[in-house]
Amino acid sequence: MTKERFKELMQPIADGLFGKQKPYHMQQGTPPVVRPVGMIVEDLCTISDDEWAKYAFSREPLNGKFTDEQRVELTRKAMACGREYAERVVQEQGVRDPEKLAEKLGMKVDYPRMPQSTDRVLFAEFREPNKIHIYMDGVDKGEVLFAEPGVRHALTAQLDIKKLLLGHELFHWVEEKYRKEIWTRTYRLRLWEVGPVHNDSTVMVLGEIAAMAFTQALNNLRYSPYVMDAYLVYGYSPEAASALYEEMMTFAGRTPRLPEELEPA
Amino acid sequence: MEFIIGILLLLTFFGLAYYCIKGHNLMIGFLVITIAWTVLSLGGTAVSSADFLASNPVLTDTTLVKMLNAIYQSAPEGWGTTLVNVCWGAWFGRVLMETGIASTLIRKTVELGGDKPMVTIALLNIVTAIIFTAMTGAGPVIAIGVIVLPIMMSLGVPKAIAMFSFMESVAAGIYLNPVNFAQYRAFFIEPSEMEAFTLGWYAGKWGYAAVIISVVVATVLSGIFLKTSKTSHAWAAQTRGAAEQKDAPFYTLFLPIVPVALKIAFDFSVIGGFVIAGFLALFLCGKMKGSFAENCQLVNKLYYDGVVDTAPLVGFLLTLPMFNKVASYASPYFKVVLGPVMPKSELVVCVLFAVLLGLGLFRGPMTLVGCGAATLGVLSNVASFSVPFLYCVFAIPTITVNIGSCITQSWVAWGLAYTKVESKDYLKLSIPCAYIAGILLYVLTMVTMSGMGPEWFI
Ligand SMILES: [Zn+2]
Repeated sequence: MTKERFKELMQPIADGLFGKQKPYHMQQGTPPVVRPVGMIVEDLCTISDDEWAKYAFSREPLNGKFTDEQRVELTRKAMACGREYAERVVQEQGVRDPEKLAEKLGMKVDYPRMPQSTDRVLFAEFREPNKIHIYMDGVDKGEVLFAEPGVRHALTAQLDIKKLLLGHELFHWVEEKYRKEIWTRTYRLRLWEVGPVHNDSTVMVLGEIAAMAFTQALNNLRYSPYVMDAYLVYGYSPEAASALYEEMMTFAGRTPRLPEELEPA
Repeated sequence: MEFIIGILLLLTFFGLAYYCIKGHNLMIGFLVITIAWTVLSLGGTAVSSADFLASNPVLTDTTLVKMLNAIYQSAPEGWGTTLVNVCWGAWFGRVLMETGIASTLIRKTVELGGDKPMVTIALLNIVTAIIFTAMTGAGPVIAIGVIVLPIMMSLGVPKAIAMFSFMESVAAGIYLNPVNFAQYRAFFIEPSEMEAFTLGWYAGKWGYAAVIISVVVATVLSGIFLKTSKTSHAWAAQTRGAAEQKDAPFYTLFLPIVPVALKIAFDFSVIGGFVIAGFLALFLCGKMKGSFAENCQLVNKLYYDGVVDTAPLVGFLLTLPMFNKVASYASPYFKVVLGPVMPKSELVVCVLFAVLLGLGLFRGPMTLVGCGAATLGVLSNVASFSVPFLYCVFAIPTITVNIGSCITQSWVAWGLAYTKVESKDYLKLSIPCAYIAGILLYVLTMVTMSGMGPEWFI
C-alpha cells in the first residue's frame, strides 16, 4: 500500500473525527466510466418501446411480482393507453402544444429554480388538483448540453425539455380526471389472497410509462422520454448519468459502449 | 466564592449550548468545555470556603494528578467497551445491506400492502423499526432510505410525509437497539455496575412499549398528515439504490433480529450475536462462495465501511466521558447555585422534561448526544434518582427528539437533501410528533420506572 493510498483510506475517518459536522454522503463503489453525453443520448434514443420495460419496472415497488413477459406486455398496454389519451385530449382541446394545453386545462404551472442532489434528481412534479412544478435548474443544465457534439442530432430540434416535462405531468392530471375508467388505474394486480380475503393493487409504474408515451405523442418525438433520466442527470453528474446509461442499456439487453468506441466524426 | 464559580460554570454551559445549536463540531466543543470545567472546578478549591470543601470530599480526598488522570485517561478508556459494540453493530448493518436481507424485507413488505398508502406506510414503519433495532449508523439508514423513500413517494405520498414517517420509525427501533442501549447506559454508570440493568430487563419494563408507542404515533400522525395533504407525482431520476438486487432467501429474513433476541432472551453477548448472525447471513446468502482470500476481503471491506459509517460519532463518544467525569467535580458548585431550584421529585422531572422536549432539538441541553450530557451531569449530581428512571428520562429527548426529529441528525440532513424537503417542512411534522410521542413516553416512564427500590441507585 502506498502512502497516498493509505492517506486516502484514512481521510474519511480523520474527517469524522476532526471535520465540521456535515450532511452524510455514503461513499460508493468504483465510479462508472464517464461517456460523452452525445454517445449516451445517441444509444439511448435507439432503444425500442419494449426494451424500456425492464428499466421502467425497476423503479416499481411491486416489480418483484412480474415476469419479463408480463413487464413487456404491460408496458405495451400502458404506452397504448398514454397515446390514446393524448389524441383524445388533443381532439377535445384543439391544441397539441403542452404549454397551451396546460393553459386550456386550467393548470397552475410554475418554474422554480432549485438546486438538486445527485442521488435523486427531481425534474417535475404534479400536485393534485392542478399544480405543476417544472424544476428549471435541470432544464437549464440540459439546454447547455445541447451544444455538445451529437446531442442535437440525436435528440432532434423537435425537443423542448420544458414542454416534454410538462406533457408528462399533464398526464397525471388526465389520469386523475378519468381515474374510474383509464386503464392505468383500472388494472389491478392481486398481491395475495387468503380464502375470501385478498389485496388487489394498482401498479404505479403503469401511470409513469403511460405519461411518457403521452408526452412523447404531444411532443412528436421519435424516442422515449425516458432518455431524459440520463440526459438531464448528466448536467449534474456525468458519473451518475453514465451509471444510468449502463443500467438502461443492460436492462434493454444491449451492451453499453465505452468512450473509446466512439467513431471519429 | 463557590457561588461565583458555580455561576461561571453555568455561563460556560450556556456557551456550550449555543455552540452546539450553531452546529459546530461537537468533539471540539466538549473538549474545550472539559478543560474549562477542569480549571474552574479544581482551581476553585483554592478559593472556596472550608465548609464547602469539608462537605464535598470528592474535591479533596485525592491528589490533583489522580483527578486529572480520572478525567483524561480512565474516563475515555472506560468507554472502550461501548465503542467496540458500536463498531460491530456497524459491521452487522453493512452485512445486512450487502446480503440484500434488509432490502428484501422492505420489498416483501411493500408487496403485502400495495398501493394503499396507509397500509403500506404502517407495514413499512413496523419493518423499519424492527430492522433498526439491530442496525447502527448513518450508512444503513441511507441504504434503507434510498429504497423506502422512493417507494413511498411513488405511491403518491408527499415527500415530507414519506421522509417523516421513515425517520421516526428508524428512531423508534433505536429504543431497543443494544448498541445504543450500551452507549447511553454508559452515561449513567460504568458498564460493570448494576448488573441487573440489562437490555432484557429494560425492554420488558419499558423498551417494547416505547417502540410500540413511537411507531404508532408516527404512523397515526402520517395518516392524519396524509388526509390533509394532496397526492403528488414526481418525475425524478433515481441514480442509486434502484438497481436490481437479487432477493435474499426467505429463511434469512429473520436474521436482523437475532442479535437483539439473543441479548434480550439470554443476555447473550451482543457482539457474539452480531458475529453469528452476520456470518450466517453471508453464508446463507451465498456471499462466501469466493476463494478464502476473497471472502476475507469482503468481510474486511464491510468492517471498514461500517467503521467509517460511525466515524463521525467516535471522536465525540471518546471526548464525552471526559466531560461526564469532570461534571462530577463541577457538581458541588452547581449544587450551591441550582440545588434550591432543581427538581427533586420524579413527577416534576417528567413534567418538566416533557414541557422542555423542544430543547432536545439542535443538540440542545436535553439530548445526550448534544449538550444534554451536561444537563445530566448537573441533574444527577444535585438530586438523587434511580438509574433506570434517569435513563428513560434522557433517552426520550435523545432518541425521539434528536435522532428522529432534528435536522442536525446526520441522516435526517441527508434525507432532506435526497427528498428535497425543506427543513421547516420537516420540522412542522416532526416537532408535533416529538411532543406527542414524548409526552406519552414520559407517562410510560412514570408508570413503569418511578419509585424504584434502593438497589437501582448508585
Ligand atoms: Zn410521473
